[in-house]
Amino acid sequence: MKNPYQPKTAIIRKIQPQASEIKLFTLEFKNQKDRLEFIPGQFIEIGIPNFGEAPFAVCSRPGDIEWQICVRQAGSLTTKLHTLKVGDMVTLRGPYGNGFPQIKDKNLLLIGGGLGLIPLRPLILASGEKNQKIQVFYGARHTKDLIFKNEYKLWEKSVDLYLTLDKECPGWKGHIGLITTLFDDTKIIENAVAILCGPPVMYKFVLEKLKEANFADSDIFLSLERRMHCGIGVCQHCTIGSKYVCKDGPIFRYDEIKNLPEAI
Amino acid sequence: MTKLQLRKFINWLGKEGYSIIGPVKEGKQISIKGITKPKELDLSGCLPLYSFKKYLIPPKEILFEYAGQQFKSQLVSKKQALFGMSIFDLKALLLYNHVFEKDPYYQARRQNTLIIGQVRMPPPQFPSFQIWQEKYEEDVLEHLQFDIFLGSQRKNGKGINFRIYTGTRIGQEILESFGYKNYEHIQFAGPIKEEGVEPQILEVREKMSKYFNPKIWEKLGKICIECGKCSLVCPTCFCFDMKDEPDLKKSQGIRTRRWTTCFYEDFSEIAGGHKFLATTSEKIHNWYWHKFVRIPDEYSFPGCVGCSRCSMVCPAGIDICKVLSSIRGRKKGEPEVCKIL
Repeated sequence: MKNPYQPKTAIIRKIQPQASEIKLFTLEFKNQKDRLEFIPGQFIEIGIPNFGEAPFAVCSRPGDIEWQICVRQAGSLTTKLHTLKVGDMVTLRGPYGNGFPQIKDKNLLLIGGGLGLIPLRPLILASGEKNQKIQVFYGARHTKDLIFKNEYKLWEKSVDLYLTLDKECPGWKGHIGLITTLFDDTKIIENAVAILCGPPVMYKFVLEKLKEANFADSDIFLSLERRMHCGIGVCQHCTIGSKYVCKDGPIFRYDEIKNLPEAI
Repeated sequence: MTKLQLRKFINWLGKEGYSIIGPVKEGKQISIKGITKPKELDLSGCLPLYSFKKYLIPPKEILFEYAGQQFKSQLVSKKQALFGMSIFDLKALLLYNHVFEKDPYYQARRQNTLIIGQVRMPPPQFPSFQIWQEKYEEDVLEHLQFDIFLGSQRKNGKGINFRIYTGTRIGQEILESFGYKNYEHIQFAGPIKEEGVEPQILEVREKMSKYFNPKIWEKLGKICIECGKCSLVCPTCFCFDMKDEPDLKKSQGIRTRRWTTCFYEDFSEIAGGHKFLATTSEKIHNWYWHKFVRIPDEYSFPGCVGCSRCSMVCPAGIDICKVLSSIRGRKKGEPEVCKIL
C-alpha cells in the first residue's frame, strides 16, 4: 500500500541569505522521478531526520527543475536547516494543498505582509500573461526584513511593485506606513482579483480596504497558515471549522470562510 | 452459544494464533487487556471505561526507522482478536475505517484484527443514552462492521446465553472451523440507518454550525481545566502529532505518530508562537465541533458514539448530555437528559 508519509530526498543546491535570519534554499530532488509539478500556493513538508517535518510554501517559478523554499529561523527544525550547507540533504513530501486558482480573465492584486510575500513569488515569477496586469503590495517592518531584494528590478519589468515599511528606516526613501496605507496612496488596479498572504493580524485590516475598493468577496483569495503535522487532512491540527487548511486550502476564497469566526 | 462454549471458542482462537484482548475486571473497574485464559474475561455486559482505541490506533507508533536519509517502515502486525467490543466501540471502528482508509499502518493492523462485538452498556448512573434492547439488535448491527457479534439472550431462569451473528466471511469461516454453525449472518448496510441520521443529531449540527448560543462555550471555558482526559477516553478522538525521536547513534532514530488532544497548549501553535486555539472556550468548542459538525460534514455520520465516557472521567463535571441539551435549547417539559445517540 502506498505510504503517504514516506519522504523523498532533496539536495540543497544553493543557499542565499535574504534578510536577518531568513534564507532562500534551492532544492533538487535526488531522484528526478520523485519530482511532481506544483501549483503556486501549494506547500511541501520539509524534514530533517531527528528534527521532524514542517510545512513550507514552494516559492520558485512553476516548471523549474529545482524548487525553492524561503525560511526564517524560528523553531528547532528551521534552526537546524539554517546550519546546513550546499550539498546537504533534506527530506520532502508533497506538494500538498489546492494552490492559487488560475486567473486569466482578470488582473491580479497581490498583497504580501512580511513573510507572506513568499507564497506569492511564483505568481510574480510566472507573470507575463497577455492582457493581465499584476500589482504587488508588499509591506515589511524594516529594510533588514525585506526579502528577495535583489529581484525587485527584474520583477518590475512585468509587475507594478509597491513597497512600504512600517516605520522610517535609515536610507529608506520609499513609502512608509502599514500595508493598508498603500491603499490610500496608490491607484488600485481595476478589474482585479486580490490575493492576500500575511500574518493573521493583517487580514482584517486589508479586507476592510478591499471592501472599500469594492472587491467582491468571491474576488478575494487568502492564503492561511496553521500548524500541520500530516499534511494530508488526518491529524486535525490545521482545521478551521470543518475545513482543512492542508487539504481544502491553504488558499481560500473569502466568501467560503467569512462566516467562520476562527478563520481570520 | 453457552458460556462454556464461548470459553472453548476463545481458547481455540488463542491456539489459532490470535492474541486475545478483552474486558477484564480489576477491582471495581473493567479494563481492556490481553488475556491468557478465557476465565479472565468479564462477560457481565458492563461498559469498560476504556475503549479498544489503543489496539487499533496505538498511543505511540513507529512510522519509520531512519538512518540518515533512509526511512524504512515496517508494517508487520500480529494477529489479534478484540473480544467484547461494544456497540459504541464498533461505531468508533466505522470512523477509524474511514479516517485511516489510506493509512498503511492502520490497514495492516486492521487486516490482522478479528473483531468480536458484544452488547455492553454504560452503568445505570448514566442512563441518558438510548437503551439497548434485544429487538433492536439486527437493526443496529446491520450498520456496524464486525466479524462476529454476541447478542445476549436470557435463559429461562438464571444465566445468559449468546446469540451469535456474523458480519464478514472471515467471521463465518472462523466459527465453522471451530465447529459452531448456529449463527445468523448480517449483511452490512452502510453506516447510516435507512431513515437517515437522527434528527436530534442534525439539530445539534445545524445549531453549532450557525454558532448559535456562543455563551455555552464561554461558560464551559470557565469550568474546563484542559486536562485532556475526555480525549484520552473518547473512542473517536484520534488527533495525532508526528515527532522524531533521535537515537544515541548519529542521525538515527524513529519517526513516531502519537496521540494528542486539541486541549494541549501547542496543538494549534505556529512558528512565532501564535495559537489559533488560544482560550479554553475555543478549545472545547473545537472538541465539540469535531464530533458534531466536522465528522458529520466529512462522513455523514456523527462523531460521537454516545458512550458517555467523557462525562464519567471529567474532573470538572462536564456532562456531554447536558451540553448537547443546551446546544439544542431544551424544549419545555423535555427532560434534561438527551436521548439522541
